[in-house]
Amino acid sequence: MKTARPACPYPETGAKYWRGPEELADSPEFRSWVEQEFPAGAEEMKDGPSRREFVKLMSASFMLAGLGMFGVGCRRPEEEILPFAKQPEGYVHGVPQYFATALPTRTGAIPLVARSNDGRPTKVEGNAQIPGSNGGTDVYSQATVLGLYDPDRARRFARKGSAGSLNKAERAEALDALAAIGKQFAGNGGQGLSFLTERTQSPSELRVRGELQKKFPRATWFAHEPVDFDIRRRSASTAFGKPVQARYHLDKASVILSLDCDFLSTEAGMEIFSRDFAKTRKASKDHPEMSRLFAVEALMTLTGGAADHRLRVPASQVIRVAAQIADFVLAGSGIPVSQAGELRNALTNLGRGLSSELAGNDWVKGCATDLLAHKGTAVVLAGYQQPLEVHLIAHALNVALGGLGKTFDLVPAPDGGEGSLAELGTSLNGGSVDTLVIIGGNPVYNAPADLNWAAAQAKAKNVVRIGYYEDETAEHCNWHFALAHYLESWGDARTADGVYLPVQPLIQPLFGGITVLEFLARIGGFASANAYDLVRDSFSSVAGSPLVENAWKKFLHDGFLAGSGHKSVEASLNWAGVATVVAAAKAAAAPTGSEMEVVFARDARVDDGRYSNNGWLQELPDPVTKVAWENVIAMSKASAKALGVFPKYWDEGGWLAKFDNLEAKGLTYASLVKLTVAGKQIEGALWIQPGLAENTIVLQLGYGRTKAGRIGDLAGYNAYTLRTSGSPWMASGATVEVVQDRYEIACTQTHWSMEGRPIVREANLDQFKKFPSFATAMNGHEMPGGNHSLYPNPLDELRKNPNVLHQWGMAIDLGACTGCSACVIACQSENNIPIVGKMQVSRSREMHWIRIDRYFAGSFESPQMTNQPMMCQHCEAAPCESVCPVNATVHDEEGLNVMAYNRCVGTRYCSNNCPYKVRRYNFFDYNKRSLKDIAGEKVPLLGTVYSTPLLSSTDGEWDLLRWWKDPDNNTKRSTDEWEILKLVKNPQVSVRMRGVMEKCTFCTQRIEASKISQKVKARESGDVAVPDGALKTACQQACPAEAIVFGNLNDEHSQVSHWKADTRNYSVLDYLHTKPRLTYLARVRNPNSAMPGYTEHPLSTTDYAEVNNVHGNPNEAHHGGHDESHGHAEHGVPAPAEKGSH
Amino acid sequence: MSDIFPKWTNRLPVYVIVGALLAGTAVTAGIWYYFTPKYTRVGFMPKQPVAFSHAIHAGQLGLDCRYCHSQVEKSWYSNVPATATCINCHGPNNGGILKDDPRLALVRKSAETGESIPWKQVHKVPDYVFFNHSVHVNRGVSCKECHGDVQTMDEVWHAKPLSMAFCLDCHRNPESRVRPLEEITNLGWKWSDDPKIAADKQKAFGKEFVANAKIHASQNCSACHR
Repeated sequence: MKTARPACPYPETGAKYWRGPEELADSPEFRSWVEQEFPAGAEEMKDGPSRREFVKLMSASFMLAGLGMFGVGCRRPEEEILPFAKQPEGYVHGVPQYFATALPTRTGAIPLVARSNDGRPTKVEGNAQIPGSNGGTDVYSQATVLGLYDPDRARRFARKGSAGSLNKAERAEALDALAAIGKQFAGNGGQGLSFLTERTQSPSELRVRGELQKKFPRATWFAHEPVDFDIRRRSASTAFGKPVQARYHLDKASVILSLDCDFLSTEAGMEIFSRDFAKTRKASKDHPEMSRLFAVEALMTLTGGAADHRLRVPASQVIRVAAQIADFVLAGSGIPVSQAGELRNALTNLGRGLSSELAGNDWVKGCATDLLAHKGTAVVLAGYQQPLEVHLIAHALNVALGGLGKTFDLVPAPDGGEGSLAELGTSLNGGSVDTLVIIGGNPVYNAPADLNWAAAQAKAKNVVRIGYYEDETAEHCNWHFALAHYLESWGDARTADGVYLPVQPLIQPLFGGITVLEFLARIGGFASANAYDLVRDSFSSVAGSPLVENAWKKFLHDGFLAGSGHKSVEASLNWAGVATVVAAAKAAAAPTGSEMEVVFARDARVDDGRYSNNGWLQELPDPVTKVAWENVIAMSKASAKALGVFPKYWDEGGWLAKFDNLEAKGLTYASLVKLTVAGKQIEGALWIQPGLAENTIVLQLGYGRTKAGRIGDLAGYNAYTLRTSGSPWMASGATVEVVQDRYEIACTQTHWSMEGRPIVREANLDQFKKFPSFATAMNGHEMPGGNHSLYPNPLDELRKNPNVLHQWGMAIDLGACTGCSACVIACQSENNIPIVGKMQVSRSREMHWIRIDRYFAGSFESPQMTNQPMMCQHCEAAPCESVCPVNATVHDEEGLNVMAYNRCVGTRYCSNNCPYKVRRYNFFDYNKRSLKDIAGEKVPLLGTVYSTPLLSSTDGEWDLLRWWKDPDNNTKRSTDEWEILKLVKNPQVSVRMRGVMEKCTFCTQRIEASKISQKVKARESGDVAVPDGALKTACQQACPAEAIVFGNLNDEHSQVSHWKADTRNYSVLDYLHTKPRLTYLARVRNPNSAMPGYTEHPLSTTDYAEVNNVHGNPNEAHHGGHDESHGHAEHGVPAPAEKGSH
Repeated sequence: MSDIFPKWTNRLPVYVIVGALLAGTAVTAGIWYYFTPKYTRVGFMPKQPVAFSHAIHAGQLGLDCRYCHSQVEKSWYSNVPATATCINCHGPNNGGILKDDPRLALVRKSAETGESIPWKQVHKVPDYVFFNHSVHVNRGVSCKECHGDVQTMDEVWHAKPLSMAFCLDCHRNPESRVRPLEEITNLGWKWSDDPKIAADKQKAFGKEFVANAKIHASQNCSACHR
């Protein structure tokens, strides 16, 4: 037995196998080495046949040497494995780790579980362990993981130099400067020291602030949120005379009235609202019950789209509608006049001003009657942009409807006591602020224009700020501190329900940022400025002192403290107080064509601008307009006509460019207009929006940044410049003029109508009760001789194969889906989907694997809106597969339509042949393009399409030279982008290159991982079927409404099998017989037949009946007009032609 | 004209065609043979920074593979051990085996400084292949099937092609490769020294094991590419 290790004849460096001909020649060393150790069996070398092998080996070597281009052989380059010197405990290389954490928000926090792949956070998901939670999140939290790797985030501590710009400062020096502030004001109790903060519900932060207030009693505190939900606390505290706010339980509601409250999208806590609301919207044959939603709104929102009855009124008139409804309800609610009389008088006065053209008496009455008929299960919600009075009316309504303790309860919400930004502005201008400490926020960008904030801030001698970006505000600071991302921070938070959550880091701060806790603690000169210690102290004060180590560990492990949720507070409505405020309300007159109303709205993508530099969110189409990469100036058709800016090339179906110019075909154009309010101007794209209130112009906040970074700069217009501190949500008297007739805009869905095709199938609840199978009744033509293919379906055989345990399938409940788009971002995060930039999106080259199709039906003025998530349907008879010349897209035996990227040669035949248009093609190396190329120059749109490496340069170096030096790094991304952005990629999914087709895989990596983990558990046993619920796709996981379910169709007890057995289940484009594995559950609406504008069928169904000549009831199981064997249906009620309500 | 073009030139096109065909065949065959993993990968043996011999540790001393590759049953990857694992035996205080040997200088240095030992990667599948160790070693596939007789190698070399065809060979016919779970890391193990008996036993065992464990080795793209 050979035990001594032979000396390797090769030198220490370089490749070891194919080194050169002479090495492989019969030198004595070589020979001896071969005889001792030649891998392929030394003894064979001596035999006759093996000689031939040897000669072959040599000749190959000579050949390679002769070619002269394989100096190191045709092996891949040698790579190193660098194991730990000492392995961290519990760490298994390659197995992702999950940590419970939370994303702090203004009103609370979103509990999350973050995935760490070898130390890199790569994906966040909702924490489903929290009582009541389903693990759904909103769109923002899904995207925050990209923000962690933003190359433009603040990377340093900086101080203002003599030239007026920020220069890097040493860490120690910067931290000393913070301590110096504390010392400076220690003597005078904080006189001249002001703090400007964002809203937070973090117990630690509030505690640290409290300590600072004790230390500096004369320091002043202010809070600024451009989109502030504090109205919830203020209104409830006023209404109930205690520091409380309302906590709604929509799952217990059967009638919901939204007063300009977009609780399904842009309200804080939408993930909780969506979850609870969706629970009441899933009617089934056995349980045909669901809630009814009334929406009164000015904007076309997702909530309006989900509503059964929608009343569009200008935002300023919502208060009058609310007053009228409240008046009716109070009259019928049995609240004694001694209590409610005064309020009713005020309401009558207020409601009187409502023009009957805007809201007919019958609508108001019908809504009020419906609310009254559901006392105890009715609930009214008011939107953040509505004034205090509307919120008070909503509280009064809720109490009158007996909802207290049922559809809502009250939880403690103490007043932080912070002053407003306007007050701080006054102090600054008065010269009483010596040092201003700004914690987060971006007031220079988003303060109301009348405060002239940059100038006001400059009045302070010393402005110290901690922020995530060196943005507009940073420019006007003396010191700037890099803020740590929440995935880098120790902290804590409370959800809006009061559940206590940890914020724990997954990674060291990438650029040395510090947390707000540490920042404040250093100013306060705390004994320990360590955020971890501060949070532990807070934990022991919440959970009970002294700190129990195991309880702390459990807290971090579970991600919440059990039993820490708010207990509800007993309180009764202060009728007189509410009446006083409502009586003093001054409602504006309804806007007219000459006196347009401007309303501001929180953006569903970039929030108030805090996510401007997040590429995923920038590229996410707005859920209603479907415009990406910018905000628009939206108005109704009539308003545009009244203003004289109605575009010439308008098409009824949507924005379809009608130009002869070949280049312009397929692109979407809007006009570029200039909007002027009170002498201030903005310039943006005009957007004609169905369903908007007349004489209303909607401006979305959060765009028009100048110092956001490479992604966010210059996208859209800055609506903050029109805002005033007195009336932050409305302005009036706007004029608009066209600046440019043609302005290219990136809109992902230019056509709005289904044209009568049953893509989204809908019925009203009454009809659903009669015809539970209405969805399949809308199926297309039957083929002659029945719907049988000539060829057997191979998957039918596979279903019978006992060795194939899984057949994957998905179902989406359109009744529950609201269109919030959280799934789109979750998919982008999970599947390494690149962003492509405005120019590419405008050419329909967006890469999203899921898109949310949004359809309107009915009149342009008052349409019904539906949403449908659309992704690869995984057809069993997939049209894409039959046209692929290289078998790059094929079926696997578990029913997945798989893509082998390495086989794909990019013919795009598959995409052409896909009836659902869900395949995405990498026209460029999107993962390697520089952010500048991607974001392009937005105004006018001139993103770089492609520049050849022969002519271009990156980081000041010729691209060809870069490639020559390092062929693996042939990227157009500059090093700082490349090195950091690659960290966000999910290592379980291939990053696709140029020329490759891709599409939804049903998260095949998660399927394989779950199968493998089950097999590993099973070992030699046969228990290898993945149990139902062990696996969730990224979209399913993120959906707050639980509208998506995925699982094994072979398991008849799986949730997906149950859903597919539902009578609402149908396939899109069923008549093509593609047999999709993804099916939809038709939407059921629940309108009240007593309401004006009621139609027996949803408007899309009416369209369907008209277009398809359905003579009978379209919900009934026959094909009137089509199916000759049955003849025309005699029964059923003709679809009424009435369209539009108001 | 024959003065300029002699008669034999009439046959020139035929020579050219035949020559081109021969050359084309030779090139095709050459590439087929010499540029496939069976040829390019097998035998790859980089020099490792530390003269670690698997033959001594796994063969002579009989250490189980999982003593060092401890996460192979849990993870996608089979980990290369941390330096601390070497120090368990070779440390100055515990074990003390070869504690002053110059060949182990790098190991001692790594243990002191915490810097990694730069091992050279021998086995590697392309980035678009998602191979999972745990599902193989937990379900009857021995290390030996892909890594060869590592217990006899002083310097580890690439023994199998690890090409897609190689993977599919086994996935198409797992019966012939699976072995009892307790013998997975026993690389030298055989059913019998007599090849005939061994083959019969393997056949019987393989059939039963595959049926009981419901082994259905996927041959779909999605099994490895995602």
